[in-house]
Amino acid sequence: MSAGEKVLGIVATVVAALAIAAASQWSVRAGSDQALVRLSWRAEPIRVEECRTLTDEELAEIPAHMRRSEECTGLYVDYELRLVIDGREAYVDTIAPAGMRRDRPIYVIHDEPILAGDHEVTVRFSALLPEGYESDDGPAELEWSGPFPLAPYEVGLITLDADGASLERRVRAR
Amino acid sequence: MTVTPVRASQRGGRALLARFDALFNRLYTWRFNPLYHSGALVVGCFAVLVATGLYLIFFYRIGAPYDSMERIAGQAYTGRWIRTLHRYASDLAVVAAVVHAFRMGIQNRTWGPRALAWISGLVLFGVFLVCGWTGYVMVWDAHGQLIASEGARLLDVFPIFSEPMARTFVGERDMPSAFFFLNLFAHIAIPVGILLILWIHVSRLARTNVWPPRPLLWGMIGTLTLLSVLWPATLGPEADPLRIPSEVAIDLFYGFWLPWSRSVSPGVAWITILAVGAALLAVPWLTRPSAASETVPSFVDPRFCTGCEQCYHDCPYEAISMVPRDDDRPYAVGLVDPSKCVSCGICAGSCAPMGVGPRGRTGRDQLPEVQAFITEHEPTRDDVVLVACARTAAGWGLDRFAEAPILTVTCAGSLHSSVVEYLVRAGAGGVMVVACPPRDCWNREGVTWLEARLYEGREAELKDRVDRTRLRVVYAAEREHARLTAAVETFRSQVRALDRVLAERGIRIDTTCELPAVSVAETDGP
Repeated sequence: MSAGEKVLGIVATVVAALAIAAASQWSVRAGSDQALVRLSWRAEPIRVEECRTLTDEELAEIPAHMRRSEECTGLYVDYELRLVIDGREAYVDTIAPAGMRRDRPIYVIHDEPILAGDHEVTVRFSALLPEGYESDDGPAELEWSGPFPLAPYEVGLITLDADGASLERRVRAR
Repeated sequence: MTVTPVRASQRGGRALLARFDALFNRLYTWRFNPLYHSGALVVGCFAVLVATGLYLIFFYRIGAPYDSMERIAGQAYTGRWIRTLHRYASDLAVVAAVVHAFRMGIQNRTWGPRALAWISGLVLFGVFLVCGWTGYVMVWDAHGQLIASEGARLLDVFPIFSEPMARTFVGERDMPSAFFFLNLFAHIAIPVGILLILWIHVSRLARTNVWPPRPLLWGMIGTLTLLSVLWPATLGPEADPLRIPSEVAIDLFYGFWLPWSRSVSPGVAWITILAVGAALLAVPWLTRPSAASETVPSFVDPRFCTGCEQCYHDCPYEAISMVPRDDDRPYAVGLVDPSKCVSCGICAGSCAPMGVGPRGRTGRDQLPEVQAFITEHEPTRDDVVLVACARTAAGWGLDRFAEAPILTVTCAGSLHSSVVEYLVRAGAGGVMVVACPPRDCWNREGVTWLEARLYEGREAELKDRVDRTRLRVVYAAEREHARLTAAVETFRSQVRALDRVLAERGIRIDTTCELPAVSVAETDGP
């Protein structure tokens, strides 16, 4: 092994080491005008039930200790999520209750990229109820609307308030 | 013969690797060529990770992860470079693992008995990446947050969590400290799993050597330590779910997928991940030779077996065991397990009575081949012949090299010492055995046993009557033509200067290596 090859070996080692260090901290910059509208909450969906009164004949076929005069079937309804930014419909989606049997809460998680600055934002979260169905489970529609200023790199979070009764903009979680 | 895309890519990859091997041999010598030790370097890096991780764990606080990392990064004389060393060692481990997998893949060391090592290696690599991701999440800077939130987004496709994991990272509520506890637990527990999988990975190898040579190991540690001191890893801004980081320093070795995955839906991401994973797992099946070209496993002919156990000791894959005989001879007989045998033929070189080896490549089969070679080339006293490992000779594509005729063997370790003696006594001025560099032997220990048999008296040893000055063993990678040409020329001039060796006279090979009356073709192999 010649001295030249030894030097080349050292140079190759240094280059490889520097390449590892550079690739280990590869800088990725976000544009300075970037911001985000984030929608995130958990909600109990409304349950739509259909009940009917059992006939005497049907009741007679049921063991005495299991007899109930009313039999109900139902399901948790889907919700429509609509996000309007500066009068433009930015995002629309239908969200189903979670779980294989759709019997879990509804989870809303959506990030909408937007330019930093002053905006008008409207968020509408409405249960897709059968026509004419009146629910007493809770509000069938939640809405938040208002000015939405966003600083560069800011994430504006809209979520449910502590009571779960209305939407609010949360500036900082902690 | 049609060339499949897999074979074509193996051929292309092998040509590329051969060039790098030759270059690195020049720069680092074959003893310390990091490409030959890529697998062992991963283990070396793992040891560095454990050592540095043990230090870092003393200062890490799950209640205030980022603050504790800031404190570590603030330790100018210890914490800063130790943390950086931890990171760079994990990066180098990824590079070395990829090189190792590439090497095994293009050398076709993936199918049959080696499939277990390939698949466990892929699992090992995947687990290593997961461990790295948990490490970055521990830091809980912008990079860690990015890995956590993007990973959660992908995992939420599967309905396995009671609520979406991504919800943890959106800023709707405080980060639960249980998350950091679980993450720390995973980061510590996964390496235990890595050791277990590593054990499976090498379980079919005899005399496993998982460590690189000491100079290479300490050279690697020294280089990474120096790099850590001179270029310490930066700590990004603290994770803040309600702020887009203006700049994130991504570790491309672990976060290479982030820019891509953020631009596609989770479904597309998973389809791609599963497709790539399935393709890699299918490599043992894709690279398996056709039935016509597949090599056959070794077998032991019990009639010639003397129970010496040499093949049992020499097999690099523990494919041979000694079992009781079914006749009245008072010793055991070798038995080859075909499911473990890679058909390297090293056992053929180990058996003095030539009773073991792959069919058609035992010592008994090598003698007619060398006879035909001598008839064809008629070696003279003032010239040399080359006996070359097929891996090296295949790269040349020649039947002569530097004007010396080439006798090709599948592996230098399968060469029976009688072949060398035969060549010398048939009139060759010198015999140069050209083997792969030891740590690049495709059959692991072929070169080691070859040298021991030729020079150190290991069974089946080259007899003392053969003049060692007429013998050379050289290591050469495929593309080291110039170095090998020089070696051949030097040896040729040395041979020509030799006086006639009287000790070689009067010995008749046909009385020493008399072929038995029973032909091998009549024996019952597996």
